[in-house]
Amino acid sequence: MTVLPVGDGAESATRAATQPAARGRSTRAWWHTNTGRRLTFGYLLLAPAALYVLLLVGIPFLFSLYLALSDANVGDPVARFVGLENFRAAWEMDTFRDALRNSIVFLVVAAIFKSLLGTSLAFLLLQNFKGKKLVRALVVIPFTLPISVSVLSWKWMYDSQFSVINWGLHKAGLIGAYGSESWPIWLGQPHLALLACIGVNVWRSFPFSAIVLLAGFTSVPNEVLDAARVDGCSFFQRFRHVVTPMIFPILIIGFLFDTVFTLSDLSVVYLLTQGGPGSATMILPVLAYQIGIQAGSLGRGAAIALMLVPLLFLALFLMLRNLKRRD
Amino acid sequence: MTTAAVPRTHRQKEIRRHLLLYAGVTPFLFIAVFPIYWMAITAFKQEPDLYRMGNIPFWFNLPPTLKNFETLFYQTNYGYWIVNTLTISAWVALITLLTAVPAGYALARLKLPGAENIGIAIFMTYLVPGIILFLPLSRVVATLGLQDSWWALVVVYPTFTIPFCTWLMMGFFKTVPMEMEEAARVDGCGQLSALVRVVLPVSLPGVLTSVIFAFTLSMQDFLYGLAFVAPGDQKPVPVGVPTELIRGDVFFWGSIMAAALLVGLPVAILYNFFLDKFIQGITGGVGK
Repeated sequence: MTVLPVGDGAESATRAATQPAARGRSTRAWWHTNTGRRLTFGYLLLAPAALYVLLLVGIPFLFSLYLALSDANVGDPVARFVGLENFRAAWEMDTFRDALRNSIVFLVVAAIFKSLLGTSLAFLLLQNFKGKKLVRALVVIPFTLPISVSVLSWKWMYDSQFSVINWGLHKAGLIGAYGSESWPIWLGQPHLALLACIGVNVWRSFPFSAIVLLAGFTSVPNEVLDAARVDGCSFFQRFRHVVTPMIFPILIIGFLFDTVFTLSDLSVVYLLTQGGPGSATMILPVLAYQIGIQAGSLGRGAAIALMLVPLLFLALFLMLRNLKRRD
Repeated sequence: MTTAAVPRTHRQKEIRRHLLLYAGVTPFLFIAVFPIYWMAITAFKQEPDLYRMGNIPFWFNLPPTLKNFETLFYQTNYGYWIVNTLTISAWVALITLLTAVPAGYALARLKLPGAENIGIAIFMTYLVPGIILFLPLSRVVATLGLQDSWWALVVVYPTFTIPFCTWLMMGFFKTVPMEMEEAARVDGCGQLSALVRVVLPVSLPGVLTSVIFAFTLSMQDFLYGLAFVAPGDQKPVPVGVPTELIRGDVFFWGSIMAAALLVGLPVAILYNFFLDKFIQGITGGVGK
């Protein structure tokens, strides 16, 4: 995913050296020419950031490929090459299959709710009304609050006995009293638990969807909309044929961001259920953490984490194919 | 427009429109804000007040108390966590500034061959999730001898702040008119002094934005802190609160909510002011 075409000094040197010298404009060494000086200065300024990213993102990414193909673990620093053994072993774990299935279900269900909520909120915020700024500032709080902090509030709201959600449902007559059949134990019942985790993700990210959409909407010039209106396009026609294609690039970026976050976030599930009950809410990041750090099996953990990459690429591919079709 | 009745119906229409909009917005507001309200009221409630199911839980049934905050500061490592969080973020901000600002400048203004692609490549690394990097990085942290110290996070957090802030600074520097440097160069400034004396001062808002993001993005992390820092007094707040204040099945909800609120809210508010910049940052390069 990250092949870094990071320019280094050598590359710039050859380029700078061939250009002015070939034109015979100067016999000075290339680094004394204006272009040479500018490029040297430029790559010197670029180097610290590029090296940091290369050393701590690029190389670790390659290193994780290596780990996944080895039997590295925390206790034993000498790793042996084992080929695809880690992937095969992971595939044969029931927990892994549950985690893969849950990750996909999580991503799809959450995306549906986020787009519905996000789109409706964006349309509301597109209107002008008094107090809009305040509404906007309040409604984005879930996104701006550190996730591990807000999950705690949800854990308390999902409490098995003192859940405020259940209190409300009970008073509304929708569920029975504590201890009865219809009293939901949000984090204790398999299907509910997954739904409860998805709910927190949706709550955290729907403001993001709305704000990204809103940024897209406001980037469409009014003249374009007016022209479409004059041509007799209805609201939905304008939306479908004018607005959507124009804001599509922004939508893709927003979608990609959210997909990466949703697929790779471990805090919601880790803090709410640790993947339980059983493996009902187990997702790939939590499994990778449990196996890689808690069990110390670095190779196996890296292999499981890398299984996210195809999912990320699949999401990207689907989005891009959709984009192409529109062109 | 000619009769006197028109303005009134217009106003009535406006009022109706507003009422409809408020009705539409209210459920969203409720969903977004209730968990935070619940957090806040729990933080100030007395312990027995949390567990009285007979009363309406949305308000105080016993007088509010500051005891939860006291417990936090006197009986837990919370004070350390706050200091750790601030120190980590300050270091991360410093490292980010020293690397991302020059890089953004070089990519935006020095007409380097391939600058656009290098910029995109650096930004793409922001999209590589921590969950793929944390195992190899745990090796890096161990090699540097930083395991079990918050210094590990100072090393690791710039992996996401540098890409984002470089991208952000690129955008900022592109808006500064080229003539400014040219004028400075004509006046005899070298390349470095043109940058430091002329371009940087007018880009201060951008630099400030980068600092804010280095802070807020650092606070959004949970995975790296969880994986790399085990000792109780070395953790940053977003990791310490959920891992240290929950012991087995015993939950001190009042203190937990107080801890979450005290740090979460300032971050949320600060981030709120800069949210548009964040959205611009991630969409801007593509929208044009």
